[in-house]
Amino acid sequence: MPPDLLRAGSLEIGLGLVLLAVFVLNLCARGADRRWLALVATAGVGAVGVLSLLVPPVPPAPGAMFVLDGLAIFAKRLFLCATFVGLLAGLSQPAATGRRAGEYHVLLLASLLGMFVLASARDLILLFVAFELMSIPLYVLAGFAKREATAVEAALKFFLVGSVSSAVMAYGLSFVYGAAGSTDLGRVARAFAAGDPLLLLGLLAAFAGFAFKIAAFPFHMWVPDTYEAASTPFVAWLSVAPKAAGFVAIFRVYFEGVGDAARLWIPVAAGLATLTIVAGNLMALPQQNTKRLLAYSGIAHIGYMLVGVAAASPMGTAMVLFYLVAYVFGNMGAFLVVEALARAEGSEATAAFRGLAQRSPLLALAMLLFLLSLGGIPFVAGFWAKLYVFWAAAAAGLYWLVLLGAVLTVVALFYYLLVARRMYIEPPERSGRVPLPGTLALAILLCAVGVVVLGVYPKPVVMAALRVAAPLF
Amino acid sequence: MTRLPVLSLITWAPFVGALLIMFTARHRPRAVRLIAAVTTGLSTVLSVWVYAAYDREAAGFQFYEKLALVPPLGISYELGVDGMSLLMVLLTSVIIFAGVFASWTVAVRSQEFYALLLALVTGVYGVFVSLDLFVLFLFYELAVLPMYLLIGIWGSTGEVRPRGIFAWAYRETGVGTKEYAAMKLTLYLLFGSAFILVGVFALYFSAGSASFSFLDLEAAAFPPAVQRWVFLAFYVGFGILAGIWPLHTWSPDGHASAPTAVSMLHAGVLMKLGAYGVVRVGLGLLPDGAAELAWLVGTIGCVNVVYGALSAMAQTDLKYVIAYSSVSHMGLVMLGAATLTEAGLNGSVFQMFAHGIMTGLFFALVGLVYEKAHSREIRRMGGFGRVMPGVATAFTVASLSSLGLPATAGFVAELLTFMGAWRSDHVWWLFPAVAGTFLTAVYVLRVAKQIFWGPPSPHFHHLEDARGPEWVALVILTAVLVLFGMVPGLALALVDTATVPLLSRIVGP
Repeated sequence: MPPDLLRAGSLEIGLGLVLLAVFVLNLCARGADRRWLALVATAGVGAVGVLSLLVPPVPPAPGAMFVLDGLAIFAKRLFLCATFVGLLAGLSQPAATGRRAGEYHVLLLASLLGMFVLASARDLILLFVAFELMSIPLYVLAGFAKREATAVEAALKFFLVGSVSSAVMAYGLSFVYGAAGSTDLGRVARAFAAGDPLLLLGLLAAFAGFAFKIAAFPFHMWVPDTYEAASTPFVAWLSVAPKAAGFVAIFRVYFEGVGDAARLWIPVAAGLATLTIVAGNLMALPQQNTKRLLAYSGIAHIGYMLVGVAAASPMGTAMVLFYLVAYVFGNMGAFLVVEALARAEGSEATAAFRGLAQRSPLLALAMLLFLLSLGGIPFVAGFWAKLYVFWAAAAAGLYWLVLLGAVLTVVALFYYLLVARRMYIEPPERSGRVPLPGTLALAILLCAVGVVVLGVYPKPVVMAALRVAAPLF
Repeated sequence: MTRLPVLSLITWAPFVGALLIMFTARHRPRAVRLIAAVTTGLSTVLSVWVYAAYDREAAGFQFYEKLALVPPLGISYELGVDGMSLLMVLLTSVIIFAGVFASWTVAVRSQEFYALLLALVTGVYGVFVSLDLFVLFLFYELAVLPMYLLIGIWGSTGEVRPRGIFAWAYRETGVGTKEYAAMKLTLYLLFGSAFILVGVFALYFSAGSASFSFLDLEAAAFPPAVQRWVFLAFYVGFGILAGIWPLHTWSPDGHASAPTAVSMLHAGVLMKLGAYGVVRVGLGLLPDGAAELAWLVGTIGCVNVVYGALSAMAQTDLKYVIAYSSVSHMGLVMLGAATLTEAGLNGSVFQMFAHGIMTGLFFALVGLVYEKAHSREIRRMGGFGRVMPGVATAFTVASLSSLGLPATAGFVAELLTFMGAWRSDHVWWLFPAVAGTFLTAVYVLRVAKQIFWGPPSPHFHHLEDARGPEWVALVILTAVLVLFGMVPGLALALVDTATVPLLSRIVGP
């Protein structure tokens, strides 16, 4: 293996070793309690996370298939962060620590590996393979509780919608290849900048695949059912990591190296953002199940990120990356609190939150922070995220989109505040603290710290995002 | 520069108080109240000092502080006061200081109550003293959000149940309950903030100077088309907070359901924050847009005056009467500003102050009455003047100011506004304005007579007059109301230094 590729692929190699280790250890494992296997996976992801802080960006060779530039490193740190929190939260969960712990973790790590490669891919074929490597384990994981009918239904729905959009994407990419005469994304970008209508058509079709992965309207149908049926720590991770990967891939394919022609995507992204924000927020309103509520609100968040994409500028791109960071902490945190309550109360309904502030004030405070962050309230992470994508859109002259987005945040606050109201205003139905396993508490604490730190001092992450987004244009 | 950052001290002292309360005073209700009184007292003393030390000859923004926060984007923590904002800071100080004493008897979760209240006040001060629009927006959000919990947890639900079609609405939405009011108020105000955000961005990008500073934006000349729509955005955004018709419905519900100190602060100060925003940012930065759309602002102001007064007449719940009277009086504030005359604008700013104190006093009194009688229903009460003479006197003074009797602050404000309307391009505004004053006399005197001066009600026994700390609020507010009515120059000399330059940008010198 050439040394350049070795250096660029060091994180993938590290993750691959962790994956193999978990796989082999699982073969040797005996008995029903395989918590140690989960610990190995978590520690491995943590170690790769440390490694990711050490690797420097490698200047890409011209025409390279696989690059480790600033964007790739930023994205990989984000995936690792989300995965670490997700695995940590899963440590207290029977499905992830029982007899099938090995399968669970191998699948999850394989999907993570797919995201890693996706973030670095500069070639259509590699991109597609990475995309599938990321997606297929997700289908399996969604139906991991194979004896529950709802889980099987959710997995099937996820799989069907997913494979159809993969097919459309592959079809679109074939047009792209036909028009550009190359699978190298650099050459595709140059051909696109030259203005080839067939290429435009191909890229539009391929967008369907990406829109499915990030769950933009109208490709969102799988989200609520899958989120409701799958295990919560996995859903927390599913709601952030693959979406981040989808956005990075969008930047790679649609923005990198195309120059001013990127402005062609403004109407597409702005239209999709409008639909997604409106649909996500309105459909979240009547939800009584907290996971479904978060699923629909998550769709709305994707819409806000698309506002940043619609700016089609380095700033817009950077602010989507920042939004993703804020979203990782806010959304995962909220899901994990739901998990804590569901385990204690056996219910995922919003009614389970009644009087939480008087039973477990700290857990309620954490949830309030997450909700405020998701709602975009000052001094927590989500506020800056929304503000910055609006800023980028306003700089691109899309004032109407900013107004629409900002007005619909009010709708979002309505349903977030309903949960806050249950926690703080309504009296508790039961007394006594909500029992909280240590690892889950730690995961929630990590998310809360992230939300607050990013809310008070967002500058380093914003600057890093701006730095990695600048070379794309 | 070694000068004391007075404005920062005024702004952040309550916030420090909130933190102290959260972390040091757990389960010690006396300490909580003491910290709240001391920190808001500090702000009050400093605002009075700033009021005395402000150089009226030099005018302009004084006590200037600046600290660059994000230099590449042009965001800085920039504070300063001119005659107008100074008066508003003074108003805030008086109301919150009185409010701390008015809510002395809050028993449930009082630690959180005071902490949220003080955090809210920091937001209010911040809006009045910020010269950086971005920071102003942050403070605005800080001033709105604690309100949700304050009303939702410590508020009260009216006992008058709706009938007819309203009964259906009540079952479906819970309209009239504190939870409903809290949600409605929060959503309305955040809806407004969406418009403000877009307006701020539009100014930032069309000025092209990469700065959010009010002073830099004042120097920029915006094209007329931009001025028009941005003014409209600010008018809607800030106007919601000022209770403009038809976006005012959050205000009666919210104010009626809120706990005493929050009603005082919200009706007394936060609604002014909206009017202040329209005058400072709308009129101040977009002179052409303001001149072009003044007819709209004034006309809606007229609707507010009459509609608010008529609605107040129809209420049977004491708190709703006062809440609707705010809607009516805020109409006068907007009307005064829309006349674009010196008298009218001075009247508008003076009305903000006078109405703030007056409505603060009203809500403090209503809170006292509610606490002692446990009722807000006007028809059940009567003859309270015999058992609570102090409360009755203060209520009468506030009523007289509300209907604009000479020697009260309300009179000066209304007279100036009428003079402004007379000199403006729209003389007909005078008729609804005067009619509103008449209607105010009708509902306010009727309520005062029924509750305090009528025959004693058989429903209530053993009522007591105000006691101890409760007196502090009443005395301060009544005294200020009469003082500024007798010597309006105390405020007007100050306001004039700010309004004259502002007007000269709109209508020419």
